[in-house]
Amino acid sequence: MHDKQQTAINRRNFLRAAGGASTVAVATAAATLNPDEAQAYDPGEEEMGPRYQETDHVKAFYRVNGYETLEK
Amino acid sequence: MARMKFLCDADRCIECNACVTACKNEHDVPWGINRRRVVTINDGKPGERSVSMACMHCTDAPCAAVCPVNCFYTTADAVVLHSKDLCIGCGYCFYACPFGAPQYPRTSNFGSRGKMDKCTFCAGGPEADSTEVEYAKYGANRLAEGKLPLCAEMCSTKSLLAGDGEIIAAIYKERVTQRGYGSGAWGWQTAYRETITV
Repeated sequence: MHDKQQTAINRRNFLRAAGGASTVAVATAAATLNPDEAQAYDPGEEEMGPRYQETDHVKAFYRVNGYETLEK
Repeated sequence: MARMKFLCDADRCIECNACVTACKNEHDVPWGINRRRVVTINDGKPGERSVSMACMHCTDAPCAAVCPVNCFYTTADAVVLHSKDLCIGCGYCFYACPFGAPQYPRTSNFGSRGKMDKCTFCAGGPEADSTEVEYAKYGANRLAEGKLPLCAEMCSTKSLLAGDGEIIAAIYKERVTQRGYGSGAWGWQTAYRETITV
């Protein structure tokens, strides 16, 4: 009975020790990483660039919406 | 550089929902999602107001601030877009948005959310302009075609304005100078037969 208990304690000690070692290993790995700050998604210059063009179509929209107010 | 903006002239909106329908049709928006909605307050009472609402393409967008995967980006035209490839459908942006713009398709009968969908100011997404892939994910790219969002172009009462912020602000300013605002606007007495402070 006594031997059985001793074995159980040893096993628990082993697990505790192993757990402690792995925690230290994880902490060391985390410390060596160089985490960058969170950055917004960058789809590239072309997709971020301006698309709006003041075409005749757009000018017509402005003209029609301001027909009663803006100078003709 | 022109900054793209929406402006809804609430004195002109008649809650016809043409903007909502035009948007759904133009972008083939899935069932259950509205990128644009018309909100009416004091419905049926004197002083009723309707405003067409969608993503307002905020300068300091709260959706982008809370996104855990940083899938949002702002283009040079000040249009806030996002990548559906990165989106995880967490729903944070919906809670952060003061306009309720982000929408999610229901992907199962158990309420799980799909990729977020929102107004793109008719500017597509991160895929190459006017491609089938872009259309399938984000809808039409009218801005690249030299046009403006269809919701504004379709507005029969010229309530919804879209385009260069400075120009549409000038149009609205001139309107208010000429006709007044709220109960001081022309037509108000005819419609409600009383003066109401709004």
